[in-house]
Amino acid sequence: MDAIVNGFNQIVGWMPALLQSTWVTLLLSVLSVLAGLIFSVFLALGKISKNKVISGISSAYIFFFRGTPLLMQLFFIYYTLPQLVPALNISDRFTAAWLAFTLNVAAYLAEIIRAAIQSIDKGQMEASRALGLTYRQAMRLVIIPQSIKRMVPPICNEFVMVLKDTSLVSIIALTDLTYQTKIIASNKSSALVYVPAMIIYLIMTGVFTYFFNKLEKKLSVYE
Amino acid sequence: MSVIKTENICKNFGSLQVLKNVSLTVEQGEVVVIIGPSGAGKSTYLRSLNRLEKLQNGKIYVNDELMEDRINGKNHSPITKKRREELLLDMGMVFQRFNLFPHKTALENVMLAPMHVKGMKEAEAKAKATELLERVGLGDKLDSYPAKLSGGQQQRVAIARALAMDPKVMLFDEPTSALDPELVGDVLKVMKDLAASGMTMIIVTHEIGFAREVADKIVFMYDGAILEEGTAEQVFNNPKNERTKQFLDSVL
Repeated sequence: MDAIVNGFNQIVGWMPALLQSTWVTLLLSVLSVLAGLIFSVFLALGKISKNKVISGISSAYIFFFRGTPLLMQLFFIYYTLPQLVPALNISDRFTAAWLAFTLNVAAYLAEIIRAAIQSIDKGQMEASRALGLTYRQAMRLVIIPQSIKRMVPPICNEFVMVLKDTSLVSIIALTDLTYQTKIIASNKSSALVYVPAMIIYLIMTGVFTYFFNKLEKKLSVYE
Repeated sequence: MSVIKTENICKNFGSLQVLKNVSLTVEQGEVVVIIGPSGAGKSTYLRSLNRLEKLQNGKIYVNDELMEDRINGKNHSPITKKRREELLLDMGMVFQRFNLFPHKTALENVMLAPMHVKGMKEAEAKAKATELLERVGLGDKLDSYPAKLSGGQQQRVAIARALAMDPKVMLFDEPTSALDPELVGDVLKVMKDLAASGMTMIIVTHEIGFAREVADKIVFMYDGAILEEGTAEQVFNNPKNERTKQFLDSVL
């Protein structure tokens, strides 16, 4: 009994540090997905573009960032890039991590968006064109609004993946939840700290999944 | 004045020739019904008129203006892209599968193109859309989403949507083929009213009774070519071509 009470007191004592690092994890995930989302729309439209150069560049980008490990990309941006191009020395760990995650997640989101857009019945584009809408208008007013609902579940998945993958940044010593947990574990020589850390991750993914599900329901209003 | 005129238009899907020198003239106010067996090229012909299908060869005139002049797939027409877009607006199209925008209400479906293509003000577009939907008998469904409407109702919204752009000619691509039999009548009635109001129409359909009733001209297509054309009286009662006779025997 004493051991449990003791352990509980220990965990309470670690909470301020854990919660502070949780903020870093959360901020990194949200900012990466937001920036990645904006970038990915261009990548997705680029990949389905009839212009061979644009679609080639978009495809190559997506191929590269989905085909190499995220951890390597993180190393590349934080260590290799400054060596190759001194002007691109990102000394701030958070910025480097954010850049790596944004570039990576954009490639995955682009494929989600492309698939959603291409899943819309081609009769929708035909009807739009027959009514005189331009390709861009048809995309903006007809195709993309319909595809958004289909994007929400996979984007939610992707967000949850990113939230968990941010634990990789502990490798460049950015004090996220995982890195803080490791510090506590080695300083206090107690592996107990992994329990509250995992619960915090679980609460975050749970809360986000809950709200994404609500959003999905709200978007299906016209069906 | 002809609204639509095609001269020797040809279209291939790979090595398959689906349109073989199709020439047809549609006069102002005329209702032309295209009949023929599946795979005859009827829908492809209709879709090539408003460029949903690209042609290999042939000419398309809209209001006597040369819109398409294709030689081996390349367009030699003298008109600008802007003018072509304008000519295309003279054609309204109704599809077999309706193709309504599912994320918009009936009213919004009809308002969309007038507002974004013609720059019409919202209030004006709304008044016009309401009037058109009332005309097709859907005055009580203005705020319904397509998923809440029957197939016949959806197709009538689609007709109203096409009419909202004030086309000079309406193209109907098997407008009742995807409908349950009991819903066909409402759609045909709207089309009959439209024909009676003087609209120029080109209709691909399997509804022979309807064709007999409204068509000024019947065109029989077979294997990518027009084999016979004439009044309903001529084609239905005295078909000259053996293929036409066979086809009519099979459907009547």
